[in-house]
Amino acid sequence: MSAVEISQVTKTFDAVTAVNQLSLAVPEGSVYGFIGPNGSGKSTTMRMITNIIHPDSGTIRVFGHERSRTQPGGIGYLPEERGVYRKMRVGELLKFHAELRGGRDVMPEVIAWLERLGLAQRAGDKVETLSKGMSQKVQFIATVIPEPKLLILDEPFSGLDPVSADSLRGAILEMRKRGCTVILSTHDMNVAESLCDSILMIFRGKKVLDGTLASIQSGYGSDTIRIELEGGASHLGDLPGIEQIKDLGQLQELRMSPGCDSQQVLRALASRARVTSFSVVKPSLHDIFVRIAGPQSEEEVPVE
Amino acid sequence: MNKILLVAKRDYLQMVRSKAYVLGLILLPLLFGGGFLAVVLSSKSNVAHQQRVAVIDRTGVSAAAIIQAGQQANRKAAATAPLAAPVPRLVFEEVKPDADQPAQLLALCDRIRAGDLFLVIDIAPDALQPPKDSKRELVRYYTSSGGLVDPLSLWLPGVVNDGLHRVRLAQLGVDPSRIPNVLGNVALVSMKLVDKDPATGRIMQGEKKNQLQSGAVAFFLVFLLIMIAIFGSAPNLGAVAEDKMQRVFEMLLSSASPFELMMGKVLAAVGASLTSSIVYIIAGLLVLASMAMFGLAPLNLIPWFFVYLIGDVIMLSAVGVALGSACSTPQDAQHLAFILILPIMVPMFMLTPVMQAPNGGLALVMSFIPPFTPVLMLLRQALPGGVPWWQPWLGLLGVIAYALASVWAAARIFRIGILSQGKTPKFAELAQWVLRA
Repeated sequence: MSAVEISQVTKTFDAVTAVNQLSLAVPEGSVYGFIGPNGSGKSTTMRMITNIIHPDSGTIRVFGHERSRTQPGGIGYLPEERGVYRKMRVGELLKFHAELRGGRDVMPEVIAWLERLGLAQRAGDKVETLSKGMSQKVQFIATVIPEPKLLILDEPFSGLDPVSADSLRGAILEMRKRGCTVILSTHDMNVAESLCDSILMIFRGKKVLDGTLASIQSGYGSDTIRIELEGGASHLGDLPGIEQIKDLGQLQELRMSPGCDSQQVLRALASRARVTSFSVVKPSLHDIFVRIAGPQSEEEVPVE
Repeated sequence: MNKILLVAKRDYLQMVRSKAYVLGLILLPLLFGGGFLAVVLSSKSNVAHQQRVAVIDRTGVSAAAIIQAGQQANRKAAATAPLAAPVPRLVFEEVKPDADQPAQLLALCDRIRAGDLFLVIDIAPDALQPPKDSKRELVRYYTSSGGLVDPLSLWLPGVVNDGLHRVRLAQLGVDPSRIPNVLGNVALVSMKLVDKDPATGRIMQGEKKNQLQSGAVAFFLVFLLIMIAIFGSAPNLGAVAEDKMQRVFEMLLSSASPFELMMGKVLAAVGASLTSSIVYIIAGLLVLASMAMFGLAPLNLIPWFFVYLIGDVIMLSAVGVALGSACSTPQDAQHLAFILILPIMVPMFMLTPVMQAPNGGLALVMSFIPPFTPVLMLLRQALPGGVPWWQPWLGLLGVIAYALASVWAAARIFRIGILSQGKTPKFAELAQWVLRA
């Protein structure tokens, strides 16, 4: 069963169509990533799933039940803006969130989460005294401690240092292991590639990608060549069969035009300079993202 | 219900632990006590000094009698005056009328200006004739004291007329030793209405009214109600606006419904108000007991005080929560604070008319308008004479209905308001939110 099923949902704010005829299905027990440029409709979609705002048309079902205006709740939601009582102490705040949901003895669980995310020493401190990353982790605990079946995290990794990001990543996978379905949005393509079972890309309110990383990449084929040349990108001018060259410094990425044979490219390169590395790869998620949302794609947007 | 109590507990603790609450708890009695202290101090500055009074007697025979009446009245006033407001000793002098009347009056008025004299009483030559034209003033007095209410008008006419009556009676041949008996006053006392005990059927004698004490107790109770209701409800407006701006509600909504969140906040306001009022009432009773004036404590009104306080705080804080949820900036919250306290400011302006005629038409009507009922009905109940037994109950029904309606409307605004962003809605839009299904 799908944890979340969205069908033909549209939401407009005045003259701006934030989400346009969007349909998607989030498999239960998966980590589902929303990617897309700023203002593409990710947060709006998340807020519609949590029932904070309501679609103009279309339906949203969560665990088979249609969302209604009168019954919000039942979902753990971490908004992009920080939403915790800043004057409360960390321990008290988390206890309050947990009791509000469960009404049981929750302190052992609160302490376990604080230890897990390296905040045990700060349990008695006021939230307002914490750094941005720390308060983000507190907010994450406040979101997961009621043990929701569905967890919606809007940009959970923004502002976190690599160590904190790793511990948060571990916590998200732990929640999945417990059977929780996770929807998260991110601008970090590495996070999306490594953490998400399925990825959805929204661009200008429309769905442009949806599926596993492998299925998305297969849609683009192995049209990318990654090379290292002695002399660098200076030898790459007017290379036959190549429609785009990206110089990454130590290595270069070439995108072949349809029908181009990679062996011909290799021969052409070998005639110009010494090739130290040559591999034909599938485009990275980052690459696909840029192809869709980059400035060169302003004219034409691939739509499923 | 459990979630409402959890939210209420958190908000209550945050409210009563805040510096603003503790500071307010201390400052409110200081405002009361400070006002009283100011009155005492300003009275002390007048202590024990003499005031000279000049009497120009153009009848030629009245000065002595008027001075005697004045001295008697002054001694009596000094004996009964409260310690806080002592009466100055009056020293009278008789001034023979001068041929140049205007020049003499100017000279005497200059003495008043110089502070040498307090009062000049000028008695016309025909003051002893029974006045045919009652509008004709036969006695004029000059003084620099006074203000909106002339304090001399309270005692001076009695003194002058008393003196003139004595002279007239003597002229009629009445034995001077019998004149005090003829002019002797009898005491009058204002009584509460005679009532019948509904249980025993026994007729209960009315009690003596003590206007001043009853008035003071009524005013104290009503003032306390107003201050605590504002003090308990107003913080909700800003707190909700702030929570909304920090997106706290978006996180809480996954665990509790908007109604539960709102009711929790309303209950927290009720709790904070009850806490401060219990502190004040216990402190007030202890003060009265320590001054051996416990009998003044309006024990029968204290339950009504709490009932009205709860009603008022529910009405005000529900509106506060709703308005706070509609705000988009802290400035909005400040602007809307006026609207929040309007329902309690209107009865504040009605206090004087209601105290003057507690059972008049205006007082009756206003005290049955639900948002005004807590303050005005309590005031009417506390004033001497009281109100028919059914009126507070009928008023209470109105308050309960209005409070429920406020909570219902506030909940409908709140559920939309806390999640709406952008510009603050106009009142017409708020009304639409209430009516929207």
